[in-house]
Amino acid sequence: MPAARTLFENVWDDHVIASSQGEDLLYVDFNYINEGQSFLAFDQLRLEGRKSVRPEQHLAVTDHYLPTINRQAGIEGIANPEIRKVVSMMANNAAEFGLPHIHMHHRRQGIAHVIGPELGISQPGMLITCNDSHTATHGAMGACAIPIGGSNQLRHVVATQTVWMKRPKTMRIGIDGTLARMVTAKDVILSIIREIGIGGGTGYAVEYAGSTIRAMAMASRMTICNMSIEGGARIGMIGPDDTTFQHLANCERAPKGAYWDRAIGYWRTLPTGDSAQFDRELTLDAAALAPMVTWGTSPEDCSPIDGKVPDPDSFSDPERRRHVARALEYMQITPAMPLSEVRVDRIFVGSCTNSRIEDLRAAAGVLKGKKASVPGMVSAGSSEIKRQAEQEGLHRIFLDAGLEWRDSGCSSCNGSNGEIVGPGQRCASTTNRNFEGRQGRAAMTHIMSPAMVAAAAVTGRLTDVRHMALA
Amino acid sequence: MQAFTVLTSAAVPVPIAKIDTGMILPGRYMRRHRRPGHDYGEAFLHDIRFDENEKPRPDCALNDPAYGKPEILLTDADFGCGSSREGAAYAVLDYGFRAMIGPSFAEIFYGNCLQNGVLPVVLDETICHRLWADVRKSPGITVTIDLPRQIVVDSDGNKHPFEINPLRKDRLVQGLDDIDVTQGYAREIAMVEGRRRGSYPWLPVTSQA
Ligand code: SF4
Repeated sequence: MPAARTLFENVWDDHVIASSQGEDLLYVDFNYINEGQSFLAFDQLRLEGRKSVRPEQHLAVTDHYLPTINRQAGIEGIANPEIRKVVSMMANNAAEFGLPHIHMHHRRQGIAHVIGPELGISQPGMLITCNDSHTATHGAMGACAIPIGGSNQLRHVVATQTVWMKRPKTMRIGIDGTLARMVTAKDVILSIIREIGIGGGTGYAVEYAGSTIRAMAMASRMTICNMSIEGGARIGMIGPDDTTFQHLANCERAPKGAYWDRAIGYWRTLPTGDSAQFDRELTLDAAALAPMVTWGTSPEDCSPIDGKVPDPDSFSDPERRRHVARALEYMQITPAMPLSEVRVDRIFVGSCTNSRIEDLRAAAGVLKGKKASVPGMVSAGSSEIKRQAEQEGLHRIFLDAGLEWRDSGCSSCNGSNGEIVGPGQRCASTTNRNFEGRQGRAAMTHIMSPAMVAAAAVTGRLTDVRHMALA
Repeated sequence: MQAFTVLTSAAVPVPIAKIDTGMILPGRYMRRHRRPGHDYGEAFLHDIRFDENEKPRPDCALNDPAYGKPEILLTDADFGCGSSREGAAYAVLDYGFRAMIGPSFAEIFYGNCLQNGVLPVVLDETICHRLWADVRKSPGITVTIDLPRQIVVDSDGNKHPFEINPLRKDRLVQGLDDIDVTQGYAREIAMVEGRRRGSYPWLPVTSQA
């Protein structure tokens, strides 16, 4: 009997075209392109007179630079000329290279990592690339989804439909048990990153497994895979199962008719075999987890909300000690102060990490019948999610609370579209990165789950949502 | 991609440590189309070359005509550190450099340069400092970089060996970039593509997006 194989091996190996000098040449089933730096790739392709070989296996998505207001005014309505230029360059490049494009007025517009799985384009067993660090999100579908650089690597994928990659090692993170009330996928992944550190997954393709993951809906699985990169791993995957298939059954671009049955037959062969070996394994007890918040400037700088801001001196590693001291200085918070005493100036619900309908429901569930004491915005991950939320009346809850209800896009996640958090302002955010200046120059970011952000909106400080009375 | 074999050229020093990609290609140039006659050369180290009033800084060797048209840049430690800003390598290339010599380069930037036909050469710090002194004493004197033999020959004829990944060296010497190399696998690509399309005919295409 052949040795049992991992999900990652099953998918990766099926795409290997050739190997040379320690790298594999991989076939790319599908590539998403955002406007970020991709114009560099297209400029270079144009200079070289090269074309896209398989335009139908790409989808350009305008998400990073597109403002989440005033869409009806069109590209001309984008006030900042630099931003307007990047948005129009994407449209021109997509047209010139014949790439299908989800443009600013497209009815499915949204964040690439949200709309790919939503449309059912991202499927189990596929090899997917995108010029964005958070591409692993699609791994929640059982795909091998890999971030690529926006210039050289993207240019290579467009011109050849392949990519050269070093084969990573494999790691399984098993999470077993039942999560307590108000403890979410975001808290699981933050706890994992705290455990392994931001470099812990470097060089690995991570598979998230265990009963906790099996019990999770697709939205939660995507939140987990999304932040693989914050733990250092470029690839994060979850074995496809009935939850995955049920999700796909309702998707516009998923296989239909006779193909559907054949596809499921194939997808069932993909999950990791019982005795498969990983290069590294670790486990986490779900029942022991609490809602998490970040207090520093790296995603591993996080603690359970009922804890205190750590003292830099409590870390034995001198480098870590220096980092924490500097982080607390940047974040303008004092060691040993209870996290629940940290005041916030604004909130943001959105980004490819936490902007799906389930996330909006979680935030609205906390905000229902309450007022936010600080300003903030809610941005659905896609236009489809926005429509769904409006049908459910969630937008009313946000608006009544005093928050802004925006169109979909990356928005305040990294502020490329101009929607930044002001200097010296502190934001409770459902996003994935809290580096210095991530949400704007001198802005301070605290990452947490949508329900926790909603709780912070109500009280104006970091708040344990478990103690909040819900309407 | 232009092949790189043996380059003999004037070399110009920018002896500042930790020049990051944001200095190599300042943010305000980053969202600019790159096309012939409108490239990133103008942006290259702009704020090191010019002061706030756009006046050339006299202490910057890049502004000294005595160096002629140098194709070799002499750098200090950690050149290209900071964000992965891929346009930085284009700025080096567009300004007219084919090679750099320095004690160390940031990893991503190093890779991006090789991809674009610019050779970063790592030499020992003391040798780098000697090269700075040499070219400052007689601006315009030439240095030779012999990639096939992996040596730098200074103006006194001293030979300094350097390391480079054999795969990268091969491609640079032949002027092959990754796309050219990959296209050599056309048959294998078609096979894998055909097998996947045949076995999984439902794989998504976006023709009707
Ligand atoms: S939402 Fe944030 S993390 Fe996600 S793709 Fe956009 S900028 Fe990147």
